[in-house]
Amino acid sequence: MSMPAPEETPRRSNPLHLALAFASGGLLTLMAHFNGTLGFHGGPLFASWTAHATGTVAALVFLAILALLSRGKRAGQSQEKKTRAPLWAYLGGVSGALTVILTSESVNSPVALSGTLALGLAGQVAFSLVADMFGLLGLSKRRLTLNDFGSVALIAAGSALIILFGRGAP
Amino acid sequence: MIYGVLAAFGAGLLISLSRQINGRLSLSTSPLIASFWNHIVGLATLSLVGLIIGGLFSEGASHAPLWAYLGGTLGVIFVASGSWLIVRIGATNTALLVTGGQLVFGIVLDLITGHKPVLWASALGVVFILAGAALAQRR
Repeated sequence: MSMPAPEETPRRSNPLHLALAFASGGLLTLMAHFNGTLGFHGGPLFASWTAHATGTVAALVFLAILALLSRGKRAGQSQEKKTRAPLWAYLGGVSGALTVILTSESVNSPVALSGTLALGLAGQVAFSLVADMFGLLGLSKRRLTLNDFGSVALIAAGSALIILFGRGAP
Repeated sequence: MIYGVLAAFGAGLLISLSRQINGRLSLSTSPLIASFWNHIVGLATLSLVGLIIGGLFSEGASHAPLWAYLGGTLGVIFVASGSWLIVRIGATNTALLVTGGQLVFGIVLDLITGHKPVLWASALGVVFILAGAALAQRR
């Protein structure tokens, strides 16, 4: 197994990592607010296209900065042997891009925004549980415990409360 | 109705599928490189979709405030963090904690921008999410 988290066994989650995941949700809130504003003016396809275009440039800038910063201290990194990525691993962006189209379809259907968010979470949980149980697409398998299911139920219920009742009438 | 339900559920499946694939790519490259490929491949896909079904550009686009164009830059960091996280805490933990965080910070954003959230549901929802997050780290 080539798990890049040597300080922890794969089954035990580092609390810091869980906190970072929670914080990255805040990043998503801001990002959705920005892209939503762009979509309000120019439509969802324009917003997503623009976000991907500016994101591509931003990623190149970040990579260039990292390359400059890490000049001359390569020794540690080159020792780490990495397996080549299969071609399909480059296609994550296709599925991400198609998400925009499905989301705008459902938001404009009787499902509306709150239903889209709630059902979207259900879809994410369904895929993730199967992905963890079977180790789909080259990531490691994780045996789910009773605690995991309890945590899934609590977070899903809390999210559903906020989505369906917390933001007032849509 | 059933069409909308399937579209919404399918969008959720695609979000997690994308994170799983990007996570695999990050193992062979790095989270930031995986995020770069995610964006450039997504850009190509959306360009193709725009050429086929149209709707890529509309008149209103020029009225959007400049700050709204920062979403893509945040997206790079967000996708990179997702790839970094999924190989460490798994797909389920990542999906739930990111969504939980999104909703809790969403309430904060609502308060800042003057949208009044429904207090009982929001407060109870936050308590449930935090309890679930706490349970996720017990073994």
